[in-house]
Formats: sequence, structure tokens, C-alpha cells
Amino acid sequence: MTTNENINEVVDFLCEYASRLLSCGVHTSRVVRNTQRIAHSQNMWVTLEIFRSHITLTASIRGTNHYVTRLVEVPKAPISFSRNSALSSLSWIAYDNDPSLDELKEKYQQILEKPKLSPYLVLLLVALANMSFCKLFGGNPMAMAIVFLGTALGFFLKQKMGQWKSNTFSTFILSAFVASVFCATVANYFLNPEQTVIAMSTSVLYLIPGVPLVNGVIDIIEGHIMIGASRLIDAMLLIFSIAVGLGFTLSIFHDSLL
Amino acid sequence: MNILLEFFVDGLFAAIAGIGFGAISNPPRRAFLYIAILAAGGHMLRHLLMNYFAMDIAFSSLFAGMLIGLLSMPLAYRAATPSTVIYIPALLPMIPGKFAYNTLFSIMMFLRTSHDPQLADLYLTKFMSNGLITFSVIFFLTIGSTLPVFILPKQAYQMTRKNKVL
Repeated sequence: MTTNENINEVVDFLCEYASRLLSCGVHTSRVVRNTQRIAHSQNMWVTLEIFRSHITLTASIRGTNHYVTRLVEVPKAPISFSRNSALSSLSWIAYDNDPSLDELKEKYQQILEKPKLSPYLVLLLVALANMSFCKLFGGNPMAMAIVFLGTALGFFLKQKMGQWKSNTFSTFILSAFVASVFCATVANYFLNPEQTVIAMSTSVLYLIPGVPLVNGVIDIIEGHIMIGASRLIDAMLLIFSIAVGLGFTLSIFHDSLL
Repeated sequence: MNILLEFFVDGLFAAIAGIGFGAISNPPRRAFLYIAILAAGGHMLRHLLMNYFAMDIAFSSLFAGMLIGLLSMPLAYRAATPSTVIYIPALLPMIPGKFAYNTLFSIMMFLRTSHDPQLADLYLTKFMSNGLITFSVIFFLTIGSTLPVFILPKQAYQMTRKNKVL
């Protein structure tokens, strides 16, 4: 139970929890609700103001007027649905069972230490996904094979640039360029113009930022206009980066694509 | 029989696409099956509406998005994940890639042919129509899939409550 002595420790945990949850690709109202559930389990009241890269959090022990306010930076982390699910479940465990802060911290740590999917498995699944996408657009087996290889190449570069902590927009531009230029080059030899267009248009779709797009819309509908707009602007910039990468390829192969 | 096969192939490839696009966001392993079901169901419905009911791609996407959003509620409950975890990857196979590509291609061609008013006009029109379709489909997909969550908020926000696996 929270007291005046350990209030700072509890608030630190709330900040850590809220910022971590936001960083793994969760829409804003869920971050607010989940953090409030955790606070409830510690006999605390909390309110949050959430922006794209910072959270302001004010908390107090229920029934007192001793308030603590913190401004916390949101860590940069890749989207993780697995962490989103586990952290949401943790908030319900806290709400339903009122565990101690130490128990919560222990479970939280276990969630952070959970292993991710193997990057090679993800690479294979993404290449298969884009290949299937090509089929849905009417691609023939040769176009599908070319898209599979182009996607694997582009996504591998994206994974490597992620490890090197490269700028996100440069990563998207280069990844889109590599995937599309590979498809355009090989398609020139093996595909007719119609199939070439299908292969080219499919080659970069693994980069579409679906999570910020949907979260942005949910945030705006739920009244979190600022962060919703930020997420949509982020998504638009990423889509623009994909277009730039693909645009480089188009400008190289323009004559053969007409 | 041919029709059944056509829908099976459509659903199968949409499911593979959904699983792959989901894998990028590191979902819990138990979510993959439900992502596949939603992706296949949504894409098959859109295929049906577009090819057998002559509906346009934007409104077909709206209904497909709504189906995905609705089905995501019971399936997310079974998977013990937030519904967004399974429905966002399921929407991605319906992104209108060809229209998006044609939008970009039209911009480039417009810039290249700007000295020829007739050709420039043609590419500008193509840019507008392809861009509008791309935007409408993405907008309708997103709105369609999020609608059920707003209609049933209490149910939508308790998916992870009974999660015993964490």
C-alpha cells in the first residue's frame, strides 16, 4: 500500500509502466486506463497527459491532497504487440488482485525479459506475406518469386539499419529503394509490363505503417487529438519515405515501365 | 467448385499476408491463428462484394474492415490480447498497393511531361483518381475496423483480463 514514504517509488513505477506501454505501439486511452488500474491497486489516483515523446503524470494517494507530478520521456522502442498484451494483462492482475509494488515490479521485469520472435523467422514470414500480397494483386508465380526475394532483401536491410540505430526515415527510403530496384531489375528480364507493375507495386508494401495509422485514428476519435495527429503525421512521413525510395527506382527504370 | 477454390485461394493468401505483416510487430504466438482468420475473412468478404455485388473498392473495404473489427472482439477475448493486436495486421492485406503505386507513378510522369499540357493533364487526372481511391480505402478500412470497438467499449477493453499466460 502506498504511503507518504514510498509514494515516489510508486510514481516512478507508474511513469516507467506508462512510457513503456506507449512505446510499444498502444493507443492513448489504453495507456491511460491501464496506468489507472495499476495506480488503483496501489491505492492511488493518477491522471496523465500524453504526447508523442513525453508523458506528464500527476498522482496522489487516494483521499489525500499530496500530489506528485512527473514529466517522463517515452523510450524509443520497436512496436511489440506481445509486450502490449502482457502489460495490459498485468494491469488487470493488479486491479483484480491488489498485489504489492514489489510483486508488480517482478512481473513487469519478467515481461520485459520475454524473448522476441527470431529475426530470421520474421524475415521469412514478411517475405512470404509480400509474396502472397503479389498473388492477391494478380501476380504470376514468377512475379511472386521476384517479390519474395526483393522483400527479403529490403527487409533484411531494414533489420540491419534498425540494429545500427539509423534514422527511421533513411531506413524506410533505403529499404523501399532496395526492394523495388531489385524487383524492377529482375522483372525487366522475366516479366511482361503488366506483371512488372504488379511486382513493383507490391515490393514495398511490407513497409506500410499500419500501427500508427490505426492508432492515430483511434486517438483522434477518442479525443486525444494532439497525439493522434502526431501519429498520423508520423505515418504520413513514413509513407512519404516509402514513396521517395520507390520514386528513385521509378526514375531509373521509367522508360522500361511505360 | 471453381468459386469455392477462388475464395479459398483468396483467403489463404490473405491469411499468409496477415501473418507476415503481423510478425513485424512481434505479436504473441497465440495471436497468429486469429490474425490469419481475420485477414482471410476480411479479404474474402471484400472479394465477394467487389466481384459478385459490383460494389466499389472503398465501400467494400469499409464492410470488410467492419467485419474484421467485429470478429476481432470474440477472437481477441480467446487470444487474451487487445483487439488491435489481431485486427491491425489483418487489415494490411487490403492496402490498395496498385493504386498507391499508380499515384506515385502519375506524379513522376506529370513532372516529366509538364511541358506537354495534354499529357500533363492526363497524369494529373490519374494522380487525383488513384490518390483519392488509395486514401478512401485506407480511411474506410481504419474507420470500419475501429467502429465496433467504439460501439462496445466495455467488452473491447477487457480482452486481457482473464489472461493466465501473461
